[in-house]
Amino acid sequence: DGVTVLPAPQNLSVQSTNMKHLLTWSPVTVPGEIIYYFVEYQGEYESLYMSHIWIPSSWCSPTEGPECDITDDITATVPYKLRVRATLGSQTSAWSTLQHPFNRNSTTLTPPVMEVTKDGFHLVIKLEDLGPQFEFLVAYWRREPGAKEHVKVVRSRGIPVHLETMEPGAAYCVKVQTFVKAIRRHSPFSQAECVKVQGETLPL
Amino acid sequence: GLRRCLISMDIHHIEEAFQEIKKTIQAKDTFQNVTILSTSETLHSIKPLDVCCMTKNLLAFYVDKVFKDHRELNPQILRKISSIANSFLYMQKALQQCQEQMQCHCRDEATNATRIIHDNYDQLEVRSAAIKSLGELDVFLAWIDKNHQGTSA
Repeated sequence: DGVTVLPAPQNLSVQSTNMKHLLTWSPVTVPGEIIYYFVEYQGEYESLYMSHIWIPSSWCSPTEGPECDITDDITATVPYKLRVRATLGSQTSAWSTLQHPFNRNSTTLTPPVMEVTKDGFHLVIKLEDLGPQFEFLVAYWRREPGAKEHVKVVRSRGIPVHLETMEPGAAYCVKVQTFVKAIRRHSPFSQAECVKVQGETLPL
Repeated sequence: GLRRCLISMDIHHIEEAFQEIKKTIQAKDTFQNVTILSTSETLHSIKPLDVCCMTKNLLAFYVDKVFKDHRELNPQILRKISSIANSFLYMQKALQQCQEQMQCHCRDEATNATRIIHDNYDQLEVRSAAIKSLGELDVFLAWIDKNHQGTSA
């Protein structure tokens, strides 16, 4: 093991949104030198049964920047320990370990972006592609007193989906939320968007 | 039944992880004419009533024995095995929660089938047994798929 001279990276934290997980830390700086970092992780299985085993991160062993996309490493809904160390040539720092293990079920789920359009008398929605783990729960209704709300689960991504054939002169509204089966959680609903067959998208 | 328990399991990504290492793992199996999981009287003869217990027993077989006995140096393979092992750990916990509300009795049929698998395992040298069991993960995953139609994403 190289002589530990470098300070260990500090302030490790994970920002996670819509099942994309980014580990960040404060950079270690040595004037005029490039510092490389090595990131390793340990799932709950390793912590419980093989605590000596740490697994090199898929994309950050090594990396230059003070951040690491660990999305491809966090592949189960269990707590993961994460650690980082800095290197400069043969010099290595001590490991810094994330204070609290990260579990992907804590990810922030945001209301999805949607595009509500009319194709003649057809109410059509197009949803952003958030990846294979996301399903969309689309609620739509005719904007009139006592109207029934219809719900459709959409698994296709990034392609237009037909919701309803509209009646002339009627206004229809749509809202959507995501569902991630792997963590059994929903996002909040998006703002509702309404369209009228012979009119423009009406703000609520 | 058990489908409701495992309904939220994302079995599909476990199958994907295994497919990426299957060839490499199976190539290391030096006892090709021997099997641990797939002797006909074990998994394939399990009745619906015994599926829950068998799933629980086989998850434990892999979590408590196979993954521990296997030694892996290749980081790519290590990542995939870790992904599968941690997913099985999650499934065990989900199954445990579910068991409080439903029956997961172990009848003789499931207990005997589990013992056959452990006996098959114990007849081989431990590293060979672990590598063979890893190579037969697709048998177990296919069995889970078949018995929990609604679970694969």
